[in-house]
Amino acid sequence: MRAALRRPAALLGGLLVVVHLVVAIAAPWIAPFAPTSLLDAPLEPPGATYWLGTDDLGRDAFSRLLWGGRVAMLVAFAAGAVAVLGGALLGLAAAYRRGGFDDVVMRLVEMKLAVPTILFVAIFVTGFGQSVPVLIVAVGIIQMMGVVRTSRAAGIVLMEQGYVRAAQLNGESGLIIILRELLPNVADLLAVEFALRASSALLLVSALSFLGLGISPPTPDWGLMVEDGMALLESEPALVLAPALCISTLVLGMNLAAEGLADALGLDAARGGGG
Amino acid sequence: MIALILRRGALSLVTLFLLASFIFFATEVLPGDALDVSLSADEIANMPAEVMARRKAELGLDRPILERYWGFLGGLLRFDLGRTIITRAPVGEIIAMPLRNSVALAGVTLLLALPVALAIAMAAAQAKGRAVDNAVSGAAIIGYSIPEFVTGLLLIAVFAVWWPLFPATITASTNDPLGVLLAAAPLAIATTIIGSVAYLGRILRVGLIEVMAADFVERLHLSGIPRWRIIWLHALPAAMIPGLSAAALYAASLVSGVVVVEMVFAYPGIGAELVRAVTRREVHVVQAIALAAAICVVLFNLLADLGIAALDPRTRR
Repeated sequence: MRAALRRPAALLGGLLVVVHLVVAIAAPWIAPFAPTSLLDAPLEPPGATYWLGTDDLGRDAFSRLLWGGRVAMLVAFAAGAVAVLGGALLGLAAAYRRGGFDDVVMRLVEMKLAVPTILFVAIFVTGFGQSVPVLIVAVGIIQMMGVVRTSRAAGIVLMEQGYVRAAQLNGESGLIIILRELLPNVADLLAVEFALRASSALLLVSALSFLGLGISPPTPDWGLMVEDGMALLESEPALVLAPALCISTLVLGMNLAAEGLADALGLDAARGGGG
Repeated sequence: MIALILRRGALSLVTLFLLASFIFFATEVLPGDALDVSLSADEIANMPAEVMARRKAELGLDRPILERYWGFLGGLLRFDLGRTIITRAPVGEIIAMPLRNSVALAGVTLLLALPVALAIAMAAAQAKGRAVDNAVSGAAIIGYSIPEFVTGLLLIAVFAVWWPLFPATITASTNDPLGVLLAAAPLAIATTIIGSVAYLGRILRVGLIEVMAADFVERLHLSGIPRWRIIWLHALPAAMIPGLSAAALYAASLVSGVVVVEMVFAYPGIGAELVRAVTRREVHVVQAIALAAAICVVLFNLLADLGIAALDPRTRR
């Protein structure tokens, strides 16, 4: 961690993430107005009362901005956790078992890669409805496939180690070996994967909300705010540019932090990401 | 080579069959069927039971799921994608032109982004660790941290609002000739290109740097061959292989990017069609679009696989 902080880019990234997290957690106490109450005439210009003005329904844009990352971050971090836990178990199990099980898992990973992420979520939303849990599961599965690949590759290397063989000769069951011998040894890798997956999930969730397939109104959300404000870009640029800036700085912060972490742990972050 | 093409082609067909099955079951496994969603709660409450049953029978929603699955697969073999729930229009006709428009946008993006990404990656690899490389890496991380809809928005803000060079949204319509459509969409194309260059540049740079560290490059160096010659004639073809194996991932990300960018600029492609279909729960349209995208990605991946086989004799087994 200290080594990660020695790099200025990583430090900046960590700082961005911390600021966004603190604001998101503190939003209910620091926001001047409730994010969903209709306060005043629509499209009041920015001023002393409404720092960023009011939106097209007369809600305080600044309060909505402070609240706007909460649900997206919740979905992104939950999906990141789903991806890392599920992906690590599947990937390590594939590395441990090899053979037919490995083939099936890798085939699934390849198949998922052929479905563009936004379509994958669209399929889920069509089938299971548009809600935060559905979003977490769908985005989690998307992000999981990359984790399966990296942890499988790491697991295959670990299987050559003496202590795994020793545990096998001791008659330990496969599940115990995966949990006790393999999993702790990929912890570093999984920490980096979590940061990368959560940032990629956030990017996806905000794009989905922008399309109207993610977080639903009236929840305050940056992606939705950009979508709502698009038509007003000329007259009220702050309504669109402020949430756009928030999304971009948060994702940038997460990516910089992830690369710094990978660097410090001696891993290669560039292999991950994408999809 | 012909045996290889046949084998890879057969494998791609298997993948497509599995994907089609996944798409079908993920969208139709829940009992809350499409009719309930396309009607309001009031309409459902007031509709006589026999009318409801007739509507369901018309849509085939009264049949068990496996029967519908066989019907779906059979329809695919006859290129029949079903009809929409509300207007009963053939799905194939609805998505044909939007699909053409989206493929054109993706194609133009690929053609323009690839050389730019290649040039940038080569400049970065040639100057590894120096200012140019650091600037490129920095730009790349910013490039893939900014969502495509924000890039599009910024381009609109700068080039359509503050400095009105281009229209903010596209005025051409779905059935216009491709030339007219693409000419009306410079900012949309620029947005997808920026996303693609960040994505491709990153993959190609990593590939090139890896190859440049290989033994055979060291040997070429020692025999006094200039660096640019090594990069162009020896490292580049070798670096194409990891680039090509990332092709499926790239194609998938390009489709997602195109969907978003279309919504930003009101480009008449499958993006708008998809969003409309999901919000109205037009299951067959969602299935058809997902399938079309999957076919594009699998086809792209197949071509990339064959490209790898052509470049690298070791894989021709």
